[in-house]
Amino acid sequence: MNEENKSGTININILFFAKSRELAKTSRAVFAVEPVVQAGQLLKQLVDRFDLSAISNCIILAHNENYIENLDEDIHLQQADEIAVIPPISGG
Amino acid sequence: MFESEAVEKGRLRQEIDELTAELNAKKQRLSELVATTNHVDDDNDALSPNQIQGKLTNDDISRYSRQLILPDFGVRGQLKLKKSSVLIVGAGGLGCPAAQYLAGAGCGHVGLVDYDRVDKSNLHRQTLHTVGRVGMHKTESAKIALLELNPHCLISCHSRLLSRFTAMHIIRDYDVVLDCSDNVATRYLLNDACVMLRKPLVSGSALKLDGQLTVYNYGATGPCYRCIYPVPPPPEAVTNCGDGGVLGAVTGTIGSLQALEAIKIIVGLGDVLAGRLLIFDGSTLQFRNIRVRSKRVNCHVCSAQPLITELIDYEQFCGMHATDKDNPLQLLDPEQRIDAVDYNTLQQEQQHLLIDVRQPAEFEICKLPPAVNVPLAQILDDSYLKQLGPQLESKELPIVVLCRRGNDSQIAVQHMRNRFPEHSIRDLEGGLHAWSRLVDHSFPIY
Repeated sequence: MNEENKSGTININILFFAKSRELAKTSRAVFAVEPVVQAGQLLKQLVDRFDLSAISNCIILAHNENYIENLDEDIHLQQADEIAVIPPISGG
Repeated sequence: MFESEAVEKGRLRQEIDELTAELNAKKQRLSELVATTNHVDDDNDALSPNQIQGKLTNDDISRYSRQLILPDFGVRGQLKLKKSSVLIVGAGGLGCPAAQYLAGAGCGHVGLVDYDRVDKSNLHRQTLHTVGRVGMHKTESAKIALLELNPHCLISCHSRLLSRFTAMHIIRDYDVVLDCSDNVATRYLLNDACVMLRKPLVSGSALKLDGQLTVYNYGATGPCYRCIYPVPPPPEAVTNCGDGGVLGAVTGTIGSLQALEAIKIIVGLGDVLAGRLLIFDGSTLQFRNIRVRSKRVNCHVCSAQPLITELIDYEQFCGMHATDKDNPLQLLDPEQRIDAVDYNTLQQEQQHLLIDVRQPAEFEICKLPPAVNVPLAQILDDSYLKQLGPQLESKELPIVVLCRRGNDSQIAVQHMRNRFPEHSIRDLEGGLHAWSRLVDHSFPIY
């Protein structure tokens, strides 16, 4: 990664739900990321940064309220885009 | 005098229970007879408007008038509902409001599955149960409430744990299934069974102030639970309502919406929440509608070439029991634990440090007087070292760790013993529940 890429990051909003909110200890955060990133890579960055390893296999990500279906694909992000971290809830 | 009053009270309670059960059986029989008669009338499916009108009784018309006048619902919707059967799995925080709205709306047959009995701690959210019915099967308690609301509804009670051996047989008879359960294993079981039997599954869940809702296995492209969550979460990442807490208005919100989706499916009304996941955040009161995937082409159960073609052992698959009851952990050796009776002696005779590792909100509910509150998270991230500082210096000062039921306390002791192998660090076996049971009966339990 060269310097130009590093400085070329944008800020997106991460929303945490249910268990991920507990683990991240916050319900939202601003996160700096490259504008084009592989979805799986973004997930990994979020898991590392926000301590989500306990649920990393069972969270879904939504980009501006759209489910990210394929973790191998690149996603194109814009400043202030929203990524929601959604683990299942099983209580009732 | 007091003795005989107590005896009389007990006898009266028992007699009332028996009479209630008998009354209940008669009501059930009557509704079965009513249902059979209706079915004879309902044989012809191709209905002209006049015939349709003829199918609703005067009682139906006045009872359902406020929904009958809805243009998209109408007489046709009411009749579809009357012929429909819905299975509600879990007669708790989600199942009670769902059943209430379905029975109220005139759903012809509601089945209830729950192995559990009514507990006082259910009443804040499980709206069909009452103080007087604590101890009764939840299914039977809910049935009494539902028949009071709508005696025309046939209510079937399945008062056993849903298992891979019973699920197919029970589900087969219903048109729509509501997942109002409280554990991961049951959620996968229900999903797989509904895929195999081609039943739409209206899935709701709630915890703390959060809720989720979606409809699985609906329409040609609608995903199933496994399409979205192919892998169950690890047991340590799952919180149940007993440990995490939940507000009744949150389960009430989600349960009501489950009834709405079931009605829409039955009547063919509006856009069903399939392929979408509703995320409810009660703390900000925001509803988010996430467009989720369609069917996963390699889904283990709902794809064209499924790997799972009959029900499996879901408790094993999830590594968790199919209930929301806590499983007692067994992490420590016996000498690393102290039982409540021995601790009672110790606390009177010896200086010691008592650490309560519950959340502050729980510590506020009730505590043992000498306890200091250090939540488990602060033990595990070692910030307790700073908080307790000098008290940890001498290995002569015995340390006892406690929590509500004696699970978290063991995790804390394990962690602390690694750092202080020479100290006497033990956990109070069975936690405050054991304390209340064995030492101080007046100590509140929750």
